[in-house]
Amino acid sequence: MATATHCPYCALQCAMRLAPAAEGVSMNDGGAAASKGMSGPVAAQGPALTVAAGAGPAEAATGLAAPGTGLAVAGRDFPTNRGGLCRKGWSSSALLNSPERLTAPLLRGDDGSFRPIGWDEALDLAAGAVRSAQAMHGQDAVGVFGSGGLTNEKAYQLGKFARLALRTSRIDYNGRFCMSSAAAAGNRAFGLDRGLPFPLQDLDDAGTILLLGSNVADTMPPFVQHLKGARDAGGLIVVDPRRSATAALAGAGAGLHLAPTPGTDMVLLMGIAHVVLQEGLADTDYIARRTAGFEELRRSLNRWWPARVQEVTGVPAALIRETAHRLAGGARRASGQPVNGTGGTYILTGRGVEQHVDGADTATAAINLALLLGLPGSAHGGYGTLTGQGNGQGGREHGQKADQLPGYRKITDPAAREHVAAVWGVRPEDLPGPGVPAVEMLMSLGRPGGVRCLFVHGSNVAVSAPDANEVIAGLRRLDFLVVADFFMSETAAEADLVLPVLQWAEEEGTMTNLEGRVLRRRAAIDPPAGARSELWIMSELARRLEAPTNFSTDPETVFDELARASAGGPADYSGLGYPLLDSGAEAYWPYPAGSTGTRRLFMDSFAHADGRARLIAVAPAVPTDELHRPGELTLVTGRLLEHYQSGTQTRRVAELSAAQPGLALQIHPVTAHRLGIEAGDRVTIGNGRGTVTGVAEVTQDIRPDTVFLPFHFPGGQSANRLTPAATDPVSGMPEFKTSSVTVSVLEKAGAL
Amino acid sequence: MTRQPERIAVVGFGPVAARLVDELLPAAAEGRIRLTVIGAETGAAYNRVLVADVGVGRTTAEAISLADESGLRRQGAVVRLGRTVRRIDRPRRQLLLDDGSIEAYDRLVLATGARPVVPTLTGLNPDPSALHLLPPGVTALRDLGDAARLRSVVAARGEVVVLGGGILGIEAALAAADEGAAVTVVHHGPRPLGRNIDAGGGAVLARALRERGIRLVSNARSSGIRFRNQPGGRHRFDALVLDDGSELPADLLLLSCGVRPRTGLAEGCGLAVDTGIVVNHRLEADVESRVFAIGDCAQVNCGQDDCPECGPGSGAPLGLLGPGWRQAEFLAGQLLAAAAAGGTTAGGRPQGAGMLPPETEPGGPDRLPAEHPPVILLKARGVDMAAAGNVGAELWEDVPHGPGTVPCHVSQWADPEHGRYAKMVTRGGVLEGLVCVGMPRTAAELVLLFERQAELPADRTAMFRLDAVEELPDGAGPADPGSTLCRCTGATLGSVEDAISDGCATAEEVSACTRAGTGCGGCKSRIKELIEAHRGLAAAPAG
Repeated sequence: MATATHCPYCALQCAMRLAPAAEGVSMNDGGAAASKGMSGPVAAQGPALTVAAGAGPAEAATGLAAPGTGLAVAGRDFPTNRGGLCRKGWSSSALLNSPERLTAPLLRGDDGSFRPIGWDEALDLAAGAVRSAQAMHGQDAVGVFGSGGLTNEKAYQLGKFARLALRTSRIDYNGRFCMSSAAAAGNRAFGLDRGLPFPLQDLDDAGTILLLGSNVADTMPPFVQHLKGARDAGGLIVVDPRRSATAALAGAGAGLHLAPTPGTDMVLLMGIAHVVLQEGLADTDYIARRTAGFEELRRSLNRWWPARVQEVTGVPAALIRETAHRLAGGARRASGQPVNGTGGTYILTGRGVEQHVDGADTATAAINLALLLGLPGSAHGGYGTLTGQGNGQGGREHGQKADQLPGYRKITDPAAREHVAAVWGVRPEDLPGPGVPAVEMLMSLGRPGGVRCLFVHGSNVAVSAPDANEVIAGLRRLDFLVVADFFMSETAAEADLVLPVLQWAEEEGTMTNLEGRVLRRRAAIDPPAGARSELWIMSELARRLEAPTNFSTDPETVFDELARASAGGPADYSGLGYPLLDSGAEAYWPYPAGSTGTRRLFMDSFAHADGRARLIAVAPAVPTDELHRPGELTLVTGRLLEHYQSGTQTRRVAELSAAQPGLALQIHPVTAHRLGIEAGDRVTIGNGRGTVTGVAEVTQDIRPDTVFLPFHFPGGQSANRLTPAATDPVSGMPEFKTSSVTVSVLEKAGAL
Repeated sequence: MTRQPERIAVVGFGPVAARLVDELLPAAAEGRIRLTVIGAETGAAYNRVLVADVGVGRTTAEAISLADESGLRRQGAVVRLGRTVRRIDRPRRQLLLDDGSIEAYDRLVLATGARPVVPTLTGLNPDPSALHLLPPGVTALRDLGDAARLRSVVAARGEVVVLGGGILGIEAALAAADEGAAVTVVHHGPRPLGRNIDAGGGAVLARALRERGIRLVSNARSSGIRFRNQPGGRHRFDALVLDDGSELPADLLLLSCGVRPRTGLAEGCGLAVDTGIVVNHRLEADVESRVFAIGDCAQVNCGQDDCPECGPGSGAPLGLLGPGWRQAEFLAGQLLAAAAAGGTTAGGRPQGAGMLPPETEPGGPDRLPAEHPPVILLKARGVDMAAAGNVGAELWEDVPHGPGTVPCHVSQWADPEHGRYAKMVTRGGVLEGLVCVGMPRTAAELVLLFERQAELPADRTAMFRLDAVEELPDGAGPADPGSTLCRCTGATLGSVEDAISDGCATAEEVSACTRAGTGCGGCKSRIKELIEAHRGLAAAPAG
């Protein structure tokens, strides 16, 4: 009895199969014999990972494996991952019966320690805290912080819960740290934001792929299979201040690596676009037929000739020109072809270029370049952003964003309010207006006019939010903090009340992957006795708070309601339901009732009223920190292959934490030499916001003016203690990639 | 008493003026200021840096525009093109135009730019105001009219003599040669770019130019022009005559002998003029904060003895767009702050003394930040050259020692055979000058370090090696069984070897046993190699 589902981690949502270890799965066949003689941590975890089978209760009536049963993971063939999984996926089931699993509501006592309490008491306390905060400080004194890791059902219900049960406008989520810049840019340019407006397989035959600020070889390894065609054609162009694992894929004749100094991506993109225009590489027919705003864009690009761009970015003018010619060449070669998938040029962005105070404008510069080359909505290329979190796409569509209602509707749009209110059985005026974006909400915690009582679902803001020290101080200022999680995350550790909830393999639901394809998540195992679904928690709290509408606890019922609420919106799910999804249908939204969905967007027109995409002139912002002061280095943050987000889950997987146990600082040898740092030394990285310590990893694979820290670790290893809470005025995205820091030796390696 | 929006007049409409206008336009559209732009050329501003590209046919005049005349009008600006200002009446704050009309102003910005220098040659009228009277076959390369003259010769693959070995002359020569013209560069001194580059860099650059088909006539003094008669009677350029009597015949003589700030209007109304219109660190040309100058016509020199930035004659315009654009952005902030703070009364009389507030905005700079020494980057396809700062120091020069002196040091890499040369002049570990030819990555990084005044790596070879041939990873890979073979899944070399020796005969079987190859699939070929190697070992005869 194997369960077909998807990986709990990133937005690639690799297809996998879960089966009780005893039954074995295909990956195990023949494996047992071969495992003889294996040693070390890999062997210890085995090829198809099994977790110790506890003496759980007999199999429940659900037909699912009983709690504590060991589940084996196997890759499952699917167009996105093609059976592949990375180390995180392979080891994902280890968390299902982790000894650290929370199994009862926990209340913080006066002495600061937690004690287990019953669910009735927990829910009564939470409801009481809401009533008390709102009585003293008004409706908006209660806030909700959601997550791009929640299923569509939970994300949708959380938005409804905030507006109708809590009656607050203060809801936002960690996708603000992730997809907000690219989403704002996509909406502005195309009238619609679906991360990839085409199926991932379209990349397979691309001749040229420009990948900016994305390290897919570490963050979603099976994705790399789709870069093979471009690499074979010598056309993978990676832009990253580090020679990341992905940038290394462009070596040895497979393409180009451009390494601009951090914070200059927009200028680089404008330089490439300048060459496209000045050297006759633009698709002038496409520009005339399908875009608006060309003349103003052209004038703005005239300021950025290659030599000037070189002076700002450190990328040689010759490479800028070569990149422009390769992009245009790929598009041109493919445009003569009759069907899709015969070459072409794709431009893809990731957080590296988006997580800036001008991230939305930087993504816009990438879109402008794609439009000048005639790529979006064509049969010979496109633009896309690579969504990060597991449900980073669905999570930004259904109303947990401050300014949004289900179906990617605007909360300020009267027609949208009317439609959604009707589905919810309330009056439009019962819906609060727009709230504030994540960083603004977090900075308001416990302050006058700010949030006094906060609910956190599926997020670990104490580690993942910028200026983490300030965020933790805010959490401590709150009158009441409720955290729903399945582990004692660093944020949960700050809570007054911790509510134990379900993990991915214990729940039913849907996720929308980075292509905008809706996938089914299926339960494979019964949850521990004390844990509850967030749908149930919201339903119980809503009842206690006398919400004016119904909150179902059944995922399928919630999905059907979501589908109705999204009907007619940009992200229309109204033609979707569990039976259709269970049939394996390729469910790319928009999927209005009566349709078969939309594999490729924009083929005939863009989503603006006049059908044209917008070319928008942009200009770089001044960085938050003054960069390049003597003795200072520019810190960029990012992810490791072995860990996911704040590490709440992956730090608890022995195999992963053994491979990457703590904070390591990547630093170039010449910089390390100047600072007297050798590989393995303990170093201090600091600035006015905080200080962290880590181990020096001396590597040629980074610019000498730049250092890199992963943001997966807590406390004194938390990279976000160093990042500023400054945000993009368009998207609300924080600045994660240009913090100025000093680095010094704390303890020499081997010192006693 | 209704407040009238402040009247800001901009004289000149080149790229620097266009930047200023861009910044002021929102205020004009909202009626907070009244903006007038007066330009001598008939078209709106364009990017002068790209004029050579127009001249060789790589791009078009339309494609290098920086401003949109009708768009400016729509947003409320008054745009008067093809008009020149005859005179500035400072007491009345009026401009007298060549069509007899009058424009009144509260603040006046002079952005009149620079005009090409016409060298003293027999046959050329040296009067700068006679520039438009250059004979047929002779042109500067400054505006779109000049570009059109060059274009016709390049299109016909004609012969061009470039007079002047400065950066703009070299760029024009390279572009024209690339596009098929036969190009000769005539210059003073032993090497081109003599004022920007050292002997080694100049020699390597000269080789690169010759390889691109450019004929260099060095150490040359030109004395005159020989004309030939055209049908219709007018003389046309035939050849450049050098002072040794030799002649360089060509279809076009392109003058690239530098530029001189246009200062006539300022002189005519009593403003201080040195090389350019003298302005202080707030770009003010007068004490009343009424008249400003920016760009190629402006010379930033406050004249204060105790000013660390200014000395006699310093601050002359550099002819680069970057500093001009920074001036435009700074001045826009000043003007908008003044408009917000003061404005004028309904009667047109100024309120207060007319002085600008000391700060444009809270925390904003109250003076134009000092410019770094300029960086010269050759804008050309296929030839890379960067130079900046003190390039003259030589490798084996004696360095002064003693208390208080920080000596300057030179590190150098020269490989003329392959067209590569780099020189770093450092003081206290910080770049004071650089020259880099044929090493684009080194050049890009050195320029960043120069502009940041950041410390160079003690191992200077780290800089020289940036343009090294890509180092490929070892094909064989590490032999340690504990080393990672598959990054995506963490599977070790040892686990894969064990699986093979235990009977896995295909990559798929190895993957099933070890997970190796199940992520991105990048190590599958390595797994196959290991299987083949094992087979070979098994098949080899014993002993």
